[in-house]
Amino acid sequence: MNAVWIATVLLAWVFGVHIPLVYTVLGIIWTLPAMEYASRRDGRYNDAVKGIARYLIAIYAVGGVFGTVITVFLAGMLPVFTNLAGVLLWPVWATAIAFGVAVALPLMGYWYRTLGSMSPGRHVALGFLTAGFTTVIPMMFRLVFAVVNYPAGVDVVKDPSSLVGFDLVVHNYWSLFSNPTYPPLILATLLGAVAFANALIAFVYGYRGVRPEAASISRRIALSFGAASALSGVWYLVELYYYAPTMAWAILGIRPPTIPAALAPVYEPTYSLTAAFAAIIALGLMSAALLILSGRIRNRALNALGMLASIALVIDVEEVNLLAHLPYAIIPPVSAAEGLASEYGVSFALTVAKVLSASTMASTLNALAVFVSADPAVLYFSIAFFTLFTIMVLVGIYVVLSWRSSGSG
Amino acid sequence: MSSELEAPLLARWLSGVGITAHLLLASMFIGTITFAVVAEYRYLRTGDADWNALARTFAVIATIFLGVGAAFGTLVEFGLVVLWSNFVTLIGSGLVLPFYFELYAFLMEVVLVPIYVLTWGRFRNAWYHWLVGVVAALGALYSAFNILAVMASMSMRPPGLEIVQLPQSIGQVIHYAAVFTSPAGVLNMFWWGAEEFIFHGILAALILSWSGIAGITIYSHRRSPKPYKLKALRTILPALTGLIAIQGFVMGHLQGELVLQFDPLKLAAIEGMSWSGLRVDPVTSLLAYGDTTHAFWGYFSWPASIRPPQFLPAFYLGFMVAGGVLLGAWSLGLTLYYYGLHRIRGLGWIGRIERLLVGGAPYALVLLAALASIGGAVTAEVGRQPFILVKAVPSTTGPPDITGIPVGPGLYNPTLTLAPWLAALVFAVELIMPALAIYMVYLYVNRRAIE
Repeated sequence: MNAVWIATVLLAWVFGVHIPLVYTVLGIIWTLPAMEYASRRDGRYNDAVKGIARYLIAIYAVGGVFGTVITVFLAGMLPVFTNLAGVLLWPVWATAIAFGVAVALPLMGYWYRTLGSMSPGRHVALGFLTAGFTTVIPMMFRLVFAVVNYPAGVDVVKDPSSLVGFDLVVHNYWSLFSNPTYPPLILATLLGAVAFANALIAFVYGYRGVRPEAASISRRIALSFGAASALSGVWYLVELYYYAPTMAWAILGIRPPTIPAALAPVYEPTYSLTAAFAAIIALGLMSAALLILSGRIRNRALNALGMLASIALVIDVEEVNLLAHLPYAIIPPVSAAEGLASEYGVSFALTVAKVLSASTMASTLNALAVFVSADPAVLYFSIAFFTLFTIMVLVGIYVVLSWRSSGSG
Repeated sequence: MSSELEAPLLARWLSGVGITAHLLLASMFIGTITFAVVAEYRYLRTGDADWNALARTFAVIATIFLGVGAAFGTLVEFGLVVLWSNFVTLIGSGLVLPFYFELYAFLMEVVLVPIYVLTWGRFRNAWYHWLVGVVAALGALYSAFNILAVMASMSMRPPGLEIVQLPQSIGQVIHYAAVFTSPAGVLNMFWWGAEEFIFHGILAALILSWSGIAGITIYSHRRSPKPYKLKALRTILPALTGLIAIQGFVMGHLQGELVLQFDPLKLAAIEGMSWSGLRVDPVTSLLAYGDTTHAFWGYFSWPASIRPPQFLPAFYLGFMVAGGVLLGAWSLGLTLYYYGLHRIRGLGWIGRIERLLVGGAPYALVLLAALASIGGAVTAEVGRQPFILVKAVPSTTGPPDITGIPVGPGLYNPTLTLAPWLAALVFAVELIMPALAIYMVYLYVNRRAIE
């Protein structure tokens, strides 16, 4: 049991819980004002909007808590990485948290409180405004993901006074947005979140046999946004192929030609994720098929299966995106590696690559990994505890989402 | 008094205000969920519907404080990553275990508190419901336990923890690490000195929140007397008086002994020992050693660059000690009054000061508890400046050497530009969020009153 393995297990678990939760928040926050707008004359989705809004309020804090769990794991397991990420990208974190806590949370509360007491047009506008501000949070966090895929805008500066021989510097924060992996990633995230949230709404209502109109519109939204998200995913994969070849290699199982043969050992991924990638395609197709079928056949098992398939799909996508980086915490671009090798020598380029690897980041100054390695029972207890509470969160989500307000049908 | 060991004043103010606001929210959560569980227990034992209503009300109030407090905690956490980025390395290298265990506590709170509220009256055996509440409240207390363990380590370096000044920085950013000499050393984050600090902090949180609850209940009871309010007061006030007594006579004393042992400079600063060299201080000697003959190093015995601010006696002696003593006396008087003991011969004077004692209680309890808490927090956190992980090393030639990681070069983000407008914005958020929580509680309590 080594530090990288422990970090991988813990981070994989928490991503697997956090991402579906925040996906539902992001998807719902856009869906609710759209539903309100669609029912402004006849009020046909009003009851569904109220029920889903209750879920949104309940789950926003829970999703945020799991975000905190991620931060603790990152600080505990990859302290040097988290420290450098904090120093390098502080405006990104600051913007995310300012919008997440200072703007989105009060707006969400105000939107919920004024539901039914404000004119429909104004309330819809407030809903879309809230959605826009809430979206800044994933826009910032996905920027960090894009940076670890391909550190565009981050310069390596040789520094003999540094313990690792170099410094990472961001000269212009706007240049971070020039990352080619960022646009498809954020697009796939937003479209996928809307698709996922609506798929869950459709499946839960289908399972309970309630609110057929809302289930029907959610089904259509899930299918169309799901298809668009899949296309964005393909675009993302193409960008990874050119700019983050370790990830593409892990996902597709073949070395992209962008990696010169001489550098193949440097960029070889830790895991082959082709089976997981195949599972993504299968789960995506299965979710779509179950969505279509659930609109035609009223069957509880089918809806339950659809719910599980769509949750599994989101988890699988995120785990693949997370694990494909390994062995790196930040994947050094091929062009940068070649540039460093020609400017400072191959040895320096290899040193940079080694420092950016997850094993260096995870095994350096890591008291938790040392403690858990000495006493694995801590990890086993944690896994059991975390699993129990994950199940409780899932059950809670189902209960809140399927809760009927009085008089609803 | 700023030195190169310090971080910019604006950054320290931002963190100070943010952490104080978070402490207020967290304390209110701990106090309200604990009271909800106590009230439900009394309901289950007596079948008195008033206790059930009180328990349910306080469970919902606890949920409000938990929700806003959790969001605020995220703000504080990112404040740590953005402002004090290099603290993250210290977490990973040595201080990680309380943060890790905090996750258990956090999950217990976040999952069980909503379950506790949403399943009210739905359990066939109501004791199971109460058990959910107990575990949720234990989650809240365990959360405080872990975070206070980290705060304790800031003021008193745990045994076996060594500060490593790196021979070269990592990327011009990381200059220090803190590592335990053995793998099991991480458990020393919970050593006995830390546990004293922890229980002192938990008691302070309970005292602050229960004082607030008592003050508001007295105000409400005077405006519209109801039996359930009297029942609540008769439970809260004696408990509050007992907690204040334990805090002052036991935990406070033990804390003082720790400060004497681990940070004599802090002791000199908070006690206002404004002299240089060794001098006998009969009062401190009596409190610390039980006699009046011991000498103490004065504040000016140490170099100016490592001395904490001189205003600390105002916070320690003025706010914390005097505020705490007054709070205890007031709470005792109220306890006697609400149990009707002022009707007993010899205690009639309590009735004669009713207007001051009871009429002033809503303001006095809240204000004194807040002052005592702020005084204690400032004493603990500003008193250790400009270091964290403080340890006094005996010296043969002068006062003990005070060692630790300087917050300026050791923790502060070197790339951060903190513009005044940005700081003003953060200050606004730090103040608005607790206000928002209090407003939400007000709305809820009002609605319950109407129903």
